[in-house]
Amino acid sequence: MIEVRGLTKRYGEVLAVDELSFTVRAGEVTGFLGPNGAGKSTTMRMILGLDAPTSGTATVGGLPARAQPAPLRAVGALLDAGAVLPGRSAHHHLLALAAGNGIPRGRVAAVLEEVGLTRVARRAAGTYSLGMKQRLGIAAALLGDPPVLVLDEPLNGLDPEGIVWIRGLMRRMAAEGRAVMVSSHLMSEVELTVDHLVVIGRGRLIADTGMAEFVAAHSRREVAVRSPQAAGLGPLLTAAGARVRPSGADGLTVTGIGAAEIGAVAAANGVELHELTPRQTSLEEAFMELTQHSVEYAAERGETR
Amino acid sequence: MTRTGTAPGSPAPAGARADRPAALPAGPRGGARFRHALHAEWIKVRTMRSTRYVVLGTLLLGTGLASLNGASSGDEYASLPPQDRSAFDPLALSLRGYILAQVTLALLGGLVVTAEYGSRTIIGTLSAIPHRRRVLAAKAVALTAIALPTGLATTLSGFAAGQAALKGAGAPHTALADEGAARAILGGALYLALAALLGLAVGTLIRSTTATVTTLFTALLIVPAFGPALPGRLADWTARYWPPSAGGQIVTGYRDPALLDPWPGFAVMAGCVTIVLAAAFLVFRRRDA
Ligand SMILES: Nc1ncnc2c1ncn2[C@@H]1O[C@H](COP(=O)(O)OP(=O)(O)O)[C@@H](O)[C@H]1O
Ligand SMILES: [Mg+2]
Repeated sequence: MIEVRGLTKRYGEVLAVDELSFTVRAGEVTGFLGPNGAGKSTTMRMILGLDAPTSGTATVGGLPARAQPAPLRAVGALLDAGAVLPGRSAHHHLLALAAGNGIPRGRVAAVLEEVGLTRVARRAAGTYSLGMKQRLGIAAALLGDPPVLVLDEPLNGLDPEGIVWIRGLMRRMAAEGRAVMVSSHLMSEVELTVDHLVVIGRGRLIADTGMAEFVAAHSRREVAVRSPQAAGLGPLLTAAGARVRPSGADGLTVTGIGAAEIGAVAAANGVELHELTPRQTSLEEAFMELTQHSVEYAAERGETR
Repeated sequence: MTRTGTAPGSPAPAGARADRPAALPAGPRGGARFRHALHAEWIKVRTMRSTRYVVLGTLLLGTGLASLNGASSGDEYASLPPQDRSAFDPLALSLRGYILAQVTLALLGGLVVTAEYGSRTIIGTLSAIPHRRRVLAAKAVALTAIALPTGLATTLSGFAAGQAALKGAGAPHTALADEGAARAILGGALYLALAALLGLAVGTLIRSTTATVTTLFTALLIVPAFGPALPGRLADWTARYWPPSAGGQIVTGYRDPALLDPWPGFAVMAGCVTIVLAAAFLVFRRRDA
């Protein structure tokens, strides 16, 4: 379990993380979302003890990073997938990490097997593709068989096969009772995988909610309608209790009533329909609305990251 | 979403991880310690490509330079005027290779840490071992374990090759049992280990490989070489007290009254490395990864 309490990080003028508090629970995948520059990486770095907080605390299993007797056994992290010495093999890269935490060397072969790198384990890591480096990063995170995983944008730049693999891995880890924290700047990357959402913008907490609640609160059903008599159909639907927005020359976006009712109203009034498509507004849009304010604020101040 | 139910046959509730496959055996009692960090750093320095090149390069440069120096100076000896003959230093001639060996070993020391910043592996290193002093101390010990034997092999083989070349040219030469020889060989090896530690300290302070290389070249080669071109007093001061120049006296046999004696000179270098290394520890401890 990760507990973040009043966590704050200031880099000179920039307040990267601002009084952030949230909890990442065991047995769940927690999505850590926010636009670029929101402070996700900084927060994760503080959880791992890489950056010192300006104020506040971050603990894993109740202990701050420097108090962990063997950090890799407490929390496994993938922060920067490209971080390998080009001339060193995956085997030696992992062997050194394992040695530093007193993890038996047999574990290295086990995690290499688990991520499917056994065959190339003795090759210089500089020759690996991005996907292979990502797998090596995951192998390092799994070395200590930790109850907590912290993954920073693990899907960035991966091919579809790699994405499916990481998503499956995160679900499996949570099913085994581990706490998984995964960051992303895209809702679509994580919406099918996470149980819980922590959304931040400009370093501040914007939402801390179950995924199911988020979906219930933010996804609206609507129906796209096209008709040569759109202008006439609009008022008829409004009379039937719908909210209607025009979209394009001959289109309407209808909320409040379903496709069947719209079809019935049209038939009863002899209106010809060219399209009748039920849709769900995407969670991505809901997420963007939620974080829009913080993004606009950043743009106003002329900040780029 | 609710995964707290404990119906019979359902997966283990959150937190219970007993039935996971391939559970890891318990770790070392009391957690990971310095010796684990040292083991990790030893694996890393051994598996860095540059280590092999530096060790080989240092040996070749040190020995090669000694042979060349011995042969050419030995040939010149016959034509030297008598007052210069008294300053002829067979010991220093055979160990002059230290000038290049100190650079290669200092670069290795620098790379031990700048390569981590350059490749960002520092993130993994410090997530695994958040105790900064432990990490840097382990790097220093692992580096010394490479640099000291390499340094000793270099001074020994340089001495042997250089003396053989001098002897071949019919010039004065020194035997291992002669006065000062053991001090120059062992002290020279210690000096080379200090140069490696200086590289580590500078690399830790600077982080960038190129800036570290430039700084080390300047400190170890350029200042000693161009010191004499400085205005009078400054030139004398540099020759006497600039740490690498002072430390280099450890390989000399002839005593120049304007320069420090071998061990005092060595102490100046050792003091300088201690100070820079202490600064590196302070900075490394406070800095974000
Ligand atoms: N080392 C640093 N020095 C100065 N500013 C930084 C540093 N790291 C991050 N920042 C700033 O902190 C803010 C948050 O960055 P980051 O945590 O990387 O965001 P995210 O991962 O959500 O994209 C950004 O404005 C970024 O420019
Ligand atoms: Mg980031």
